[in-house]
Amino acid sequence: MFRFSREQSIVNVGGVKFGGQPGELPSVLCGTIFYHGHKIVEDDEKGLFDRTAAERLISRQAELSEETGCPSVLHIYARSIEAFERYLEFAERVWSGPFIIDSADAATRSAAALLASELGYADKAIYNSISLATEEKEAQALLDSEIDSAIILAYNPAEPGVDGSLAILETGGTLREKGLLATAREMGLVNLLIDPAVLPLGSGAGSALRFSVAAKARLGLPVGSGIHNAVSSWPWLSKKEMAVRKGCDAAAGAMQLLAAADFLLYGPIESADIIFPAAAMADILIAEAVRDLDIAPGEAHPLHRLV
Amino acid sequence: MAEEEGNCKRSYEDPWPPVRGDYRVGNANAGVAVVTLASPLFPQGAAIFGPCKTENLGVEKIVANVISNCNIRFLILCGVESKGHLPGNTILALHKNGIDEQGRIIGSRGAIPFIQNLPPEAIARFQEQVELIDCIGLEDTVQIEEQISRYNRLAKPYPAKPFQLIERKAASRKIAFGKGDLFFGAGVFMGYGRLAC
Repeated sequence: MFRFSREQSIVNVGGVKFGGQPGELPSVLCGTIFYHGHKIVEDDEKGLFDRTAAERLISRQAELSEETGCPSVLHIYARSIEAFERYLEFAERVWSGPFIIDSADAATRSAAALLASELGYADKAIYNSISLATEEKEAQALLDSEIDSAIILAYNPAEPGVDGSLAILETGGTLREKGLLATAREMGLVNLLIDPAVLPLGSGAGSALRFSVAAKARLGLPVGSGIHNAVSSWPWLSKKEMAVRKGCDAAAGAMQLLAAADFLLYGPIESADIIFPAAAMADILIAEAVRDLDIAPGEAHPLHRLV
Repeated sequence: MAEEEGNCKRSYEDPWPPVRGDYRVGNANAGVAVVTLASPLFPQGAAIFGPCKTENLGVEKIVANVISNCNIRFLILCGVESKGHLPGNTILALHKNGIDEQGRIIGSRGAIPFIQNLPPEAIARFQEQVELIDCIGLEDTVQIEEQISRYNRLAKPYPAKPFQLIERKAASRKIAFGKGDLFFGAGVFMGYGRLAC
């Protein structure tokens, strides 16, 4: 393990801290609910779902967070703004921590950012995400909203790999006139979380690991990824039994944390039971590894709770 | 592999398909490929079928596997779209408009519709070799199989060699460790436990 020479910023969203030197803070774990194909969702356009099941999943994530010391974030995915309204109304009653606003549809994301601001949740909201696909209309919506936290997706199809991902953040590379970091700041975003954009295994998923180290060294910003996507998009693994798939999911998360990540977008919230122990274990190992590099984990760290 | 009439001596080279993915291979001599988008459908009679949920890498794999088999002359798009990503819309746009100089698929409404691993000749070949059959939204397997049978009857092998994509290898670079013991790229070095740029 190692310590970064560059100062590592710590971002605070709704009381949850992301970033710092490896081993300093526990990893932040973000489980997704209402995702595409989620069994508890009955109508993803209207946002109708099994409230009892949803509450049970959210409570379980909170319990594991409390038990391990790894803070958690509720990653809310919605297909429509009508669905978002229902999901946010529900989340506000059962979840007190920060949440991620996510949709594959830019118009839905933009409307959700404005809605979260109107409802007074902006200080707990993380926008997912700013990317090279972010256009003027979405940028204006964010500027008009009160949201100041966002995930910045370092996907650069013109130059795959670590250098290209850093270029899209810093300069825009060959695809944009300016880097995504500068663009995000112009939208009023202050708390920036970097996501390398994990590709499928065999298409470059591994570069997310080295990118995480390089990005923290160069930018000093919190980094994390949805590395579970590499696992879930692996056709060979999909034919294996559940225990094998879960093992790989937990292993991928731990590998990403060992590669200096500060947070995990760990995928379906149902995976909380396997991800929290794996992440807590990784956090303990990393904290022990950097103990003599003048890095002291806080009291809430899994090192002080679980061993 | 099939011996074919006309200018195309061999319709595809083993192993086919050349690019791995979440698909199933049927009769490689059939004239139809099927993309079921986000729907878990299993139609019979096609050379290859499978889902596509992304508007960039998924589309690239489809193009690579289609143009490497001259027998495939029709690509049926069916099943429900992956919302936001819109791979079906993106395949239609790629076929109709191609890409701009930055690799963006012109006219796609998908989230991040970029092509990064296909040369322009591969896209041109895709546009010439196959006709797209737009059945987006159709999930009835019987109706999809009727379309497959219909277009299989119409298909004649594309009169050229199979188009094989060569995997792009990263240029070899001399790594200068300079001030550190480990090199992470992007100007990042590590020496005695500390990472620096």
